[in-house]
Amino acid sequence: MIEVEVDGPAARVDDPMTSGEEAAELATRYGLTRIDRNPSFTEYVRRLWRRRAFVVELAKARAYRRHQSNYLGQLWAVLDPLLLAGSYFLIFGLLLRTDRGVDNFIGFLTVGIFIYSFIAATTTSGAKSITGNQNLIRGVRFPRAALPVSVAMSEILTLLPALAVLLVILLVTGERLTWKLALLPASVVVMFVFCIGLSLLAARAVASWRDAANFIPTGVRLMRYASGVMFSIAAYAGHGLIGTLMQYQPVAVYLELVRSCLLAETAMTPTLWAFAGGWALVFVGAGIVLFWRAEHRYGGD
Amino acid sequence: MAVTEPSVIASDVHVTYRALGGRRNALESRTERTDRMFGRVTKHVGSVTDVPAVRGVSFVVHKGESVGVIGRNGSGKSTLLRAIAGLIPIASGQIYVGGEVSLLGVNAALVSDLSGERNIMLGGLAQGLTRKQVRAQRDAIAEFADIGEFVHLPMKTYSSGMAARLRFAISAAVTPDVLIIDEALATGDAEFRERSAERVEQIRQDAGTVFLVSHSLSSIRQGCTRALWLDGGVLRQDGPVDEVCDAYEADVARRRAARKEKA
Repeated sequence: MIEVEVDGPAARVDDPMTSGEEAAELATRYGLTRIDRNPSFTEYVRRLWRRRAFVVELAKARAYRRHQSNYLGQLWAVLDPLLLAGSYFLIFGLLLRTDRGVDNFIGFLTVGIFIYSFIAATTTSGAKSITGNQNLIRGVRFPRAALPVSVAMSEILTLLPALAVLLVILLVTGERLTWKLALLPASVVVMFVFCIGLSLLAARAVASWRDAANFIPTGVRLMRYASGVMFSIAAYAGHGLIGTLMQYQPVAVYLELVRSCLLAETAMTPTLWAFAGGWALVFVGAGIVLFWRAEHRYGGD
Repeated sequence: MAVTEPSVIASDVHVTYRALGGRRNALESRTERTDRMFGRVTKHVGSVTDVPAVRGVSFVVHKGESVGVIGRNGSGKSTLLRAIAGLIPIASGQIYVGGEVSLLGVNAALVSDLSGERNIMLGGLAQGLTRKQVRAQRDAIAEFADIGEFVHLPMKTYSSGMAARLRFAISAAVTPDVLIIDEALATGDAEFRERSAERVEQIRQDAGTVFLVSHSLSSIRQGCTRALWLDGGVLRQDGPVDEVCDAYEADVARRRAARKEKA
């Protein structure tokens, strides 16, 4: 029976514990847990799951906050992608004419830009999700993976109005929507899983090595041109080794997947779905494991 | 002697901050020519300084104890308590804790461009409450913080006192097993201080173990049974509150006298 003495100097176990073994022994006897170490991986995932309401709330807050300080407010969620599509069309559709091998170039380009912007924004904000939230991290204890995961979620929330705009643009450009449209939600879900992984990896990289943040804008720019956002990879890079690598790297796969749901001319193949699912699992798996391994270090610096 | 149950065990805890971008002599001009040439480049590259904030602190605290932590500015008080709350990493040593720890402070900063309402929800969920629990407590939190209609406005429009009160109210919404209070009672006007002291007392009775960081020795003497005196990141004294506070005061007086003598 353990007596708890309230108030008044409690009986103290002999003096300062300098030996780690003594401390460990005492802790085990009374069922104390070590706070400066990571929980086990399964325990970590369980804790993250228990804070899912927090992740969702954080995502909604981020998505909302973005356009809060404008007069047009949340209308920008629709205006932003429209302006973006317009400016890209001016340059790539009318000036540079990168429309070789594509029938509905406006449709092709708009899908590419919207989906790529989503992936790029997830990477950029995910990278900052730990280093940019030090106040929250040093104030409240929660599984830190909640931050990068909520970034991916808030970007998905921003993508939804853009997808509605996209459908309107496609109809205006005379695209005939087919049964493949029914698979659009599934493709967005798979892409979302991939982006959770991407965000976790970017957050971990920048938290562990600050300078990594400087490579992210370059990486994002490079991927924009290596993923067939404004041109068809098959028509420009061919079917050689480089063309094949470019075609099956994750970002190009997701662009192609969403295009295959929306554009009649883009073929939807089982291989495409297999790659999309595979990349999503690889990224989310690697992301959560690598992120968890540095969990106890995120409040530092 | 009654056997008591430990709730926090710290063994040889070291905490080191890594400061990027600062280097000694970065402004000094060098004399050797080659040194000057290389120095110009290298002094701006890879400058990392490790700042030891806590250096080998050990103690055992039991359920039912309330521990005051005293020391001069920069002695490592807040750092040590953040490490106990699991909010910052430690360089070496071990910290064991029984149950949930929570840091009650005015610095539990949330998102300043969101409304008070949304911040209450976020803060509550972050601390592990459910949506339902937060909703049930929302009005009570806003009322406790006494922010009136401002609860619907972004927190960046708040006065610093209002923001501090709201943050305090949010973090006081949960009752942990180990409660750490970092200078929180110094915020706000007399009336708010009184109300927050009441709330802390209430949490303290439920929590079991309390740590209190404060520069006000009188509030430490009043509220604590034991005190830890930190000096330069090292535990200088650990014992009954009056004994440690007396020694600390004597030391402060000694320093003051020494300073006067110099001048």
